[in-house]
Amino acid sequence: MPDIKNIIKGCLAGNRRDQELLYRRHAGKLYAVCLQYSGNDEEARDILQDGFIKIFENLIFYKHEGSFEGWMRRIVVNTALEKYRSKHMLYRVEDIDLIPEPEANPENTDYSGLEAVDLLDIIRELPPKYRMVFNLFAIEGYSHKEISQMVKISEGTSKSNLSRARIILQKKVNLYTGLNKSMVNG
Amino acid sequence: MVNKDANIDLLFRNGLKDLEVLPPVETWGQILPVIRKRQKPLLFLRSAALIAVLLSIGFLAYQWSREMTITVIGPELALGEEPVQSPGNTATRRPAQNSRILVPRTDQSDSRIFADQYDSILVPVEENITVADTGFTFENNRIDFRRNFLLSDNNLISNYGLENSTDAGYDNPVVLSYEVPGEKANRWSVTAMASPTYYMNQLQGSDDISKQISSSEQSRISYSGGVAFAYNISRRFSIQSGIYYSTMGQEVSGISSFGGFSPYDYTKGDENFKVMTSSGLIRTSNTDVFLLDRSGDRVMTLYTNDIFDPAKANLSYINSTLYQNFSYLEMPVILRYKLVDKTFDFNLIGGLSYNLLVNNSVHAMMGKDRYEVGTTDLNPFMISSSLGMGMEYNLTEKFSLNLEPTFRYYLNPIGSVPGMKAHPYSFGIFSGLSFKF
Repeated sequence: MPDIKNIIKGCLAGNRRDQELLYRRHAGKLYAVCLQYSGNDEEARDILQDGFIKIFENLIFYKHEGSFEGWMRRIVVNTALEKYRSKHMLYRVEDIDLIPEPEANPENTDYSGLEAVDLLDIIRELPPKYRMVFNLFAIEGYSHKEISQMVKISEGTSKSNLSRARIILQKKVNLYTGLNKSMVNG
Repeated sequence: MVNKDANIDLLFRNGLKDLEVLPPVETWGQILPVIRKRQKPLLFLRSAALIAVLLSIGFLAYQWSREMTITVIGPELALGEEPVQSPGNTATRRPAQNSRILVPRTDQSDSRIFADQYDSILVPVEENITVADTGFTFENNRIDFRRNFLLSDNNLISNYGLENSTDAGYDNPVVLSYEVPGEKANRWSVTAMASPTYYMNQLQGSDDISKQISSSEQSRISYSGGVAFAYNISRRFSIQSGIYYSTMGQEVSGISSFGGFSPYDYTKGDENFKVMTSSGLIRTSNTDVFLLDRSGDRVMTLYTNDIFDPAKANLSYINSTLYQNFSYLEMPVILRYKLVDKTFDFNLIGGLSYNLLVNNSVHAMMGKDRYEVGTTDLNPFMISSSLGMGMEYNLTEKFSLNLEPTFRYYLNPIGSVPGMKAHPYSFGIFSGLSFKF
C-alpha cells in the first residue's frame, strides 16, 4: 500500500489514481465529520465535496508536519463553518443568565447501549447554532473566544449555545439509554 | 460503546472519534471533474494557442501553394504568347476554340469596369483557373463576381475573349491590375467587438513561495470589448486600431480577512498589510482589515504574532479569498492578412496593443457584501502582443459578421513582486459586426 507521502506527491502531479486513492482512504471518516456538522445528508455531501476540492487545491501547502488526517479534518470543519455562516449569519444573542445549568449526569449512568451512529443521530438533531458551537468546543477543542470569532457571535452567546446544546444532548442520551434499557428488560 | 460516568462532551468526543460513514458512491464522480478542470486551464490555453498557430500556418501554406500555381499559369493566362495592353489598346492573342465575346456593359459613362456591371460571364476555359493576384476565380467556365474586390483594389478587367473567334479571339480573359486615379471605395471599416476572455499569469520563479502563489490563485472570466477602425492598405493587408475596455481578475485563496482592526491600528501612513500575488503586491488601504495567511508566508505586516494576537482581539471573520480586479483601456495596432477572400473570409491577425490601467481594486466578500481591501501594485502601462485568426462572413457588401479567436501575451510584467515576474496571457473569442465604407 503506497504511503501518504507518495500519494500526496502523485496528487500534486495530477495523477488521477492517487487522487482517487486519497479520496477512498479518507472519505469515510471525513463524511462522518460532515454529517456531524449538518442537519441533512444533502448538506453533508456538499460539505464533503467542497472540502475535498479544497484539500486537493491546498495540498501544496501541507508541510508534512503533524497528522495529515487532522489537516484534512480542519479543512472540512472550516468548509462546514463557511456553509453555516452563509446560511445562519443572523441570530439573536441570548442571555447566559437565563440558561439553566445542564443536568448533572446521573451517577452510574450506563451508556453501553449507545453506538457511535446513535451519537451521530443525536448530535444531528440539535438546532444548527447549538450543534456548531458544541462541535467546535467539545469535539474540536476550540475556546469560546475562538468560536466567537469563527462563528461571529459573542463569547456569551457561544457559552449559552453550548449550555443549551449540552442540556438537549443529555436529555436525548438519557432517553436513548432509557429506551435501550426498557427494550433489554422487556 | 461504554463511556460510563463520562461527561457529555467526552461521550460524544470519544464516541464519534473513529466513526466512518461511506459517502454516496457518486460523490467522487462529482469531485473529480472539478479538480481536473482546475488543473486544465493552462493545458487548454496552450492547446488553443497551438491549434490557432497550426491553423494559421496551414492556411498560409495553402494560400502560398495557390499563388505558386498562378505564378506558373499566370503568364499564359494573362499574356498568352502575346503581349497584353492596357484598356483601349488592342492585344493579340493565341487563338482558342469555342470562345465567346464577353463585353462589359457599354452604357457606363465611366471607362472603369465594375463587377456588378456584369450579369454573367462565360469564360472559354476548360479547367478552373484562379487568378490569385486579383481574386478572380474561374469556376465551371464562369467568373465569380460575387465580390467587388475590383472596386476596393482599384483594379480593372479588360480584353475579355472573343466569341467564336478561333482566329483572332482570346482563349483566356486578360486581367490587368492598375490603379484608377481618384477612386477609393470600401477602404475603411468600423467594427464593434466583444469577448469573454480567460486570463492567466505565467509566473517566473521556482521557489516555495512562487509555488504557493501559483497554486492558490484562480483566474476569473474577464471581458473585453470595444470599437475598431480598419484601413485596407491593399486587398489582402489592412491595418486596424481602435479602443477596447478590458477587465481582468483573479481569486487569491488561503488569505483570511477579518474586519474590525481599526481600534488596534497604531501605525500611520503606510499600508498595514502586503500580500504577494502573481499580479503584484496587494497593499491594504482599508485600515479596518486584518489579513492572515494560515498556510504560507504571503502576507507581510508589522503586526506579527508577537506584536498582535488576532485571537485576543475582537475581529470579525470575513472570508478566506481575496478578489483582484483590474481594468485596462487598450489601444491596439493590428495588422491583418486576408488568407481566404470569399463570402467567408479568413484573416491572420497579429499586432501590439498599448494598455492603460484605469481601475485597480482588491476586495473580499462577506455573503453578498463587498468589503474593500486595497489595491495591487500594477504596472500602469502594459504592452501586449496579439495573435489570432479572424473569420469574417460577409452578410452584404457593407456588413459582415466577425469571429476572432485571439491569444494575447503581455510583454512586460503586470506587477512588481521581488524575485518574481509574471507575464499575463489571455485567450478570448471576439465576435462582432463590421461595417465597410
